[in-house]
Amino acid sequence: MNSSKLKAKDFITVGIFTAILIVVEFLCGMLGYIHPYIVASYVVMIPLVGAIPMMLFYTKVEKFGMITIMSVLIAIIMFVLGMGYLGAPLIVAAGVIADLIAKSGKYKSFKKTIISYGVFCLWICANYFPVIVTADSYRKDLLDGGYSAEYCDDLFRAINEKTIAVLLILCFVFGCIGAVIGKKVVKKHFEKAGIV
Amino acid sequence: MHIALDPRTKLYMILVVSMVVLMTATTPFLWGVRIFMTMVPITLLFIEKKYASAIRFLIFYGVALVLTFFFLSEDSSGILTAILIGYCGIVVQFMPAMITAWYCVRTTKIDEFMSAMQKLHVPDGIAISLAVVMRFFPTIKEEYGSIRDAMKMRGISFGGGNALKMVEYRMIPLLFSCVNIGDELSAAAITRGLDGNVKRTSIVELKLRTADILLMLVFTTVLGIFIYCKYFR
Repeated sequence: MNSSKLKAKDFITVGIFTAILIVVEFLCGMLGYIHPYIVASYVVMIPLVGAIPMMLFYTKVEKFGMITIMSVLIAIIMFVLGMGYLGAPLIVAAGVIADLIAKSGKYKSFKKTIISYGVFCLWICANYFPVIVTADSYRKDLLDGGYSAEYCDDLFRAINEKTIAVLLILCFVFGCIGAVIGKKVVKKHFEKAGIV
Repeated sequence: MHIALDPRTKLYMILVVSMVVLMTATTPFLWGVRIFMTMVPITLLFIEKKYASAIRFLIFYGVALVLTFFFLSEDSSGILTAILIGYCGIVVQFMPAMITAWYCVRTTKIDEFMSAMQKLHVPDGIAISLAVVMRFFPTIKEEYGSIRDAMKMRGISFGGGNALKMVEYRMIPLLFSCVNIGDELSAAAITRGLDGNVKRTSIVELKLRTADILLMLVFTTVLGIFIYCKYFR
C-alpha cells in the first residue's frame, strides 16, 4: 500500500480539528452581532484563538491533502450555516495553497508552517465576501431583515472593497503571530505530556 | 407514527433550506413561505418524539419573529436594542438552517449517513471526515461541560480576569480529551475495516419511500416559489 495515501486515522483527525475550529469560529461570530466593528476584528480574534488547535493539527499532518480536506469541510459547513457559496472557492483555494506551502517544508519546517497557517487564515475573509461583492443588495437585505440602519452604516464603513485588502493582510499577519504563540502553547503543554 | 426518512432526503432538505436562508424575505408572502419551511423540520422533530427540542426551537423562533415584526424597525437605536436586533436577526435569519441541520444530525445514524454518502459517490475522505464532524459537536459540548465542572470545583472561574488565561484554561484540556477520543475512534474505525481496499457493504438498505419523494417535491416547490417571487416579479 502506498504510504502517502490518506488513511481512516487521518480523516478522523481532520474531522475532529475541523469541529473544534468551527466551534471557535462560531463563538467569536456570536460577538459580531453586538457591533459591526467586531465583525471586522474577526481577522484578529479567530487566527489567534484558532492557532492553538491548528498548531496541534499541523503536528499531526504528514501527508498532502489533509489541510485541503479541512478547507472543503469548512466550505460545506459555512454553506449549511447560511454564509453563502460566494466564499467557498476562496476557502478551498486558501486550503490548497496552505497545503502546498506546508508540503514544500515536508510538514516539518516551522517557518513554512507559520506561512501556511497565515494563508489558511484567509478563509475567514471569505465570510466577508457577500458584503463586498453584492454590497447594495446585501445592504437592502439586512435592512429588510430587521437590522438597524446604524448597524449597516457601520458595517459598510468597516468592510468595503478598500478595506478588504487591509483585512486580508491583517488576517495573514495575525495568522503568523498566532502560529508562533500557538506553537509555544503546544510545546508547553502537549510535548511535555508526550501527546505530540 | 414513525417515519424513517432517507438520509439523502435530509441532505436535500439542508441544501434547500440553506439556499433559501441566503435570500432574505422581503414581502409578507415570502415570510410566510419561510415560516412554513421552518415548520417542516419542527414537525418532523415532533414526529420523532423529540418534544423538548422541538418546543424549544418553536419558542425561540416564535419570540424572535414577534420581536422583529412588532417591536424593532430600522430606526431603533441604543446599545440594548442593537444587541437585541443582532440576536433576533441571527435567530430569524439562520434558525431555519440550524433547526434543519440539527434535526438531520440528531436523527441520522452514522451508518445510514455513510451508506448514503457511498450511494452519492462522495469521496471516502470527505464522507468520513464529515461524519466525524457531525458526531463531534455533542462530544465537544459534553467535554467542555466536564471541564467547567472541574474548574468550578477548584474555584477557578475566569482565569483571574486574564483573557489569554481564560482561553488557555479551557482550550488545553479540551484539546487533550479531543485528541484522546480521536485515537480511540481511529482504533474503532480500523477494527471495522474502514481502511480496507474493497468496497464496503452496509447493513442498512436505503430506499426512497413515498414520504421521501413527497418531502423532496414540497421542498423543490418552496425553492421554486421563493426564487420566482423574489427575482422574477
